[in-house]
Amino acid sequence: MTGSTRHLCVLVVEDETLIRWSIAETLAQKGHRVVEASDARGAVRALSSEPEQIDVVLLDYRLPDSDDLGLLKNVRRLSPESAVVMMTAFGTPEVTKDALDLGAYRVLNKPFDIHGIEPLLQEAHDSRSGASTRPH
Amino acid sequence: MTVGTRAFFLVGPEKSALLELAIRGSRTDDATAKMLAVSYVQARSVDILDPKDRAAQVLRALIDSAVDGIIVIDAQGRIETFNPAAERLFGHRQEEVVGRNVTMLMPSPYREEHDRYLSRYLETGHAKIIGIGREVTGLRRDGTTFPLHLSVGEMIVGSERKFTGIVHDLTERAKLIEQLRGSEERWRSVIESAVDGIVVIDSNGRIEAFNQAAERLFGYQVSELLGRNVNVLMPSPYHEEHDGYLARYLATGEAKIIGTGREVMGKRRDGTTFPLRLSVGEMSIGGERKFTGILHDLTARVRMEEQLREQASLVRLGEMAAVIAHEVKNPLAGIRGAVQVIGGRLPADSREAAVTGEIISRIDTLNGLIQDLLLFARPPQPKPTLVDVSSLISTTVDLLIRDTALSEIDIQVEGASAPVVADPELLKIVFQNLIVNGAQAMRGKGRIRVSIGASDVACEVRFIDAGPGIPPDIRQKIFTPFFTTKARGTGLGLPTARRLVEAHGGTIHVECPPAGGTTVTIRLPVDRVTASTRADGPVLERGSIEP
Repeated sequence: MTGSTRHLCVLVVEDETLIRWSIAETLAQKGHRVVEASDARGAVRALSSEPEQIDVVLLDYRLPDSDDLGLLKNVRRLSPESAVVMMTAFGTPEVTKDALDLGAYRVLNKPFDIHGIEPLLQEAHDSRSGASTRPH
Repeated sequence: MTVGTRAFFLVGPEKSALLELAIRGSRTDDATAKMLAVSYVQARSVDILDPKDRAAQVLRALIDSAVDGIIVIDAQGRIETFNPAAERLFGHRQEEVVGRNVTMLMPSPYREEHDRYLSRYLETGHAKIIGIGREVTGLRRDGTTFPLHLSVGEMIVGSERKFTGIVHDLTERAKLIEQLRGSEERWRSVIESAVDGIVVIDSNGRIEAFNQAAERLFGYQVSELLGRNVNVLMPSPYHEEHDGYLARYLATGEAKIIGTGREVMGKRRDGTTFPLRLSVGEMSIGGERKFTGILHDLTARVRMEEQLREQASLVRLGEMAAVIAHEVKNPLAGIRGAVQVIGGRLPADSREAAVTGEIISRIDTLNGLIQDLLLFARPPQPKPTLVDVSSLISTTVDLLIRDTALSEIDIQVEGASAPVVADPELLKIVFQNLIVNGAQAMRGKGRIRVSIGASDVACEVRFIDAGPGIPPDIRQKIFTPFFTTKARGTGLGLPTARRLVEAHGGTIHVECPPAGGTTVTIRLPVDRVTASTRADGPVLERGSIEP
């Protein structure tokens, strides 16, 4: 585990309930606040309405109402301060490269080790806050 | 009768008078010619011949009116008689040749030899031409030669031996033969230069002609096939059925293939078969029915079709794999995550916690299978860089020997090559698959040699194991996806290796030497600039053409 271990606010955008549940459980256990969305619309709504700043967005590539990197662009626009980690069940090298170019911190291939999530999100957040002027 | 001709008629009450009719006059004015002829007849009128002169006159007339040249010589070869036809043939007037040696009518070497022939005949009676006839060459007054048929008879007049030559002009016939020969040559060259095979058979199916293209197609020499049944060129069941087809067609006119064409299989001399398009036409030569087959090789087309089919099916498989990957990996991720969370809440040393660990390892195996399928069905586009093959192999080997399944395998790497332009990640997968295959063939024990060699254009890597080899009946299938002889295996290792090597413009071959074991050879194109740098020092423009 690197950097600070402060409690984060994480938006998990994932339509597969078991994934969403296991991530939320794991993060909550570590004391992080988790906001859940099951589609792109829910993600946009959460980013626009959430009173607290969302530190990290964990974003599935394919959602019922989104099948490209449009949602990533939207997230970056709506919440430029948030770090984004993408998840995909079939990430081609091209998709990965495009996502990184659009500012995603990492593209995570499914299935993954659930215990690796929390340190990765900390790392992603640290990378943003290091570059950001926003006070903690 | 035309101008310039003469005719003789026996006229009178007892046909005892000879009328000579000659037509003289301007060749351009036929009317004048006729006028002249009439006046000539009036002038000569009818000669009433003395009966004793009559025979001589008739003979004279016959000789003069003969179409063939008639030349009479004496025993010394001197010309005595030279009829008007001979005059026309040789271009000499009778008065120019009479008394001169007949050799003046012959070109060399006959001219020089004739006197000797004649004297020898007179001495020995050994005839070369007398009493028979043969084709010889005549020499005209203007120095040109012409072919003629000469028949020579001998006669005794008084006590003198004389020889009569009848000379028949063969110029027209020779011209005709020449034309026929030219025409035959033309046809022969058309047939021989044809790209398609051409085979002519008689009504019994015996081969009468077989062109060069057909020789190339079937691997036979024409001399081996002439007279043989055309069914030697056919595999079963056509081989057995062809005589029946032919007989039925000849009997009933019911054609299966004649007049049309279709795709059939041909059998080469070495027993291999190949697809071809056959069109058959029928002809009649001198009343005999014959059949001409035109054979167009379809090997390349069929191979291309197969490749296209294979590519199309790989594309479909790739699309399918992509869908399956997503639809399987997404729930796998959910199951894995949830099991991990639940497992984390169980007492660490409980049986249940151990089971969750097992579930996770099964999920990972399943995921590995999906990964393998994806790699085969949808290999990533290579990202080429300069790769040093021997160090890449060493790295791969270092990774592999950590695997407990390969702990008793001794891997020897030898040789070196110029760098290749390749994707090191993909090549690593190829090397890994081949080494693991070899290790499994040897049941995890023994030595695998990896030998690297290079030519100007290719880097060659051979993976040589000392396993049992591959049985011949399955050797053809080893690159077929999902074909496996292992109890646990996806059958994707070699097909994936092949796809990845081919994506690099390389080739892969498997051999099982009689001595045992299996050798897999990979050839990869080398980077030419680097290769020549290494070989020759500074890079120079090489006169080679990029493939």
